[in-house]
Amino acid sequence: MIQLIHVSKRYDQRSALSDVSFEIGKGEFVLLMGPSGAGKSTLLRMLIGAEQPDEGQIFVHQKNVTMLRRSEIPYLRRKVGTVFQDFRLLPKKSVFDNVALPLLVQGISSADIRRKVTEALRAVGVDHKRDQLPAGLSTGEQQRVCIARAIVNGPVVLLADEPTGNLDPALTSEIIELFKLINARGTTVVVATHDPLVMEQVNRRVLTLSQGTLLPERRVKG
Amino acid sequence: MWTNRATTMVAIVTTAFTLACVGVFLLLYVNLLAAAGWLQDDVKIMVYLEDRLASDSVADIEQQLRSDQAVASLLFISKEQALGEFKAQFPSESHLLEGLGQNPLPASFVVALSPPFHSPDAIYRWAERVRQVAGVSKVDYNQDWIDALAKVIHSIELVAIGIGVILSAAAVTIIANTIRLTLFARRDEIAILRLIGATTSFIHIPYLLEGAVLGSLGSALSLVMLKFMYELFRQQMRATGRFAGLDNLIAFLSPSVCLALIALGMGLGFAGSLVSIRRFGEAKA
Repeated sequence: MIQLIHVSKRYDQRSALSDVSFEIGKGEFVLLMGPSGAGKSTLLRMLIGAEQPDEGQIFVHQKNVTMLRRSEIPYLRRKVGTVFQDFRLLPKKSVFDNVALPLLVQGISSADIRRKVTEALRAVGVDHKRDQLPAGLSTGEQQRVCIARAIVNGPVVLLADEPTGNLDPALTSEIIELFKLINARGTTVVVATHDPLVMEQVNRRVLTLSQGTLLPERRVKG
Repeated sequence: MWTNRATTMVAIVTTAFTLACVGVFLLLYVNLLAAAGWLQDDVKIMVYLEDRLASDSVADIEQQLRSDQAVASLLFISKEQALGEFKAQFPSESHLLEGLGQNPLPASFVVALSPPFHSPDAIYRWAERVRQVAGVSKVDYNQDWIDALAKVIHSIELVAIGIGVILSAAAVTIIANTIRLTLFARRDEIAILRLIGATTSFIHIPYLLEGAVLGSLGSALSLVMLKFMYELFRQQMRATGRFAGLDNLIAFLSPSVCLALIALGMGLGFAGSLVSIRRFGEAKA
């Protein structure tokens, strides 16, 4: 599903990623660990074509992301859901409208939008807040809305960049359970985090980045 | 547009003032062109005939002129009529001619050319051609005046084009800045749209339409302002009484020109948006 082949990226003189290679299969749940500045966010941004590597090849869902034309990138992003630490919800739009956004940009009919948004909101447990503005929600609820937006169009891959960075331990557990549920339905999930609590709760494959270099793989016992 | 209401209003009004300036020059140009047209319509060419020309030859020349497609109207003035007119116009000088014993004034045709032949070049070519006709002694018209008029019209055209281009560029800049402010205010929304798979056209089209609407509204408002100024000017002319009748000769822009101005505003607004979007796109790529 995801493959990186000798990927390197530099910002000025600083190396963000150095000769990183790995493969993630369909339906896997992978943790991308490492301290702040290790290159996790850069790697996730490369997977959705927001950054290009200086060297190497990146494949997502059989597409060579490094070879995609700019006009093809939106179509890749429709296959890859993204969850952010700061949620990135539109403050003046309701929960429903925020979640509907990925469907709206694809020109899907309003009846289908209503059905799919309701399903996504139910899946993350915030359907009862559908008419509220993001400001009226707790941080945990805002992250659930962000996840609902990422899964509403049935992506093949879900990427999450520090999704529990703003959450307390109880909410972190809830969000991790939600990711497990989404993964159980067949979606490949990649969670970038530096939070040891997340690692403890996920008994899955762990890729660790340190100063842009991939360390030997390990599997965590939860 | 409603997100930055104040900025939008300022942009519409500023664009309206800018395009109104273009409109003033256009109005001036259209009316001067019409005035020049009347003056050119009024140009008469005198075709003088040789002395003692047989009446058959005069008839031949008349027939030749009448069948010329460039000739709109023709009036024959005989030697006697010319003398009569001279005496009527210069009664105190008539004794000068009496001293000569015979009538020295030639017979002539007064020719008015049809509108397609009103340009200085066309008049010159026609006069040169008729000068070669047997029996014609001289072809006379006020060439200097016609050339000067053509130069004035050409100068007005150049000034109008120059001012139009400068003010249009100003309108594009005003609208581009407004759209840039809107894009800046919505940069987070645009970034999110990009991340969730919105195509470039999905993101850009609303801003292009906004620019086009701003330009059209600015242009429409400029026409309202222009019409108001035009009516005020006519009223003032009537009130002074010194230019009686002239106020009716001054025309407003025709409906098709008004529509063209609105289309121009729309195009300038679209161009302004495009400039902003391209710069914003390059910055956020």
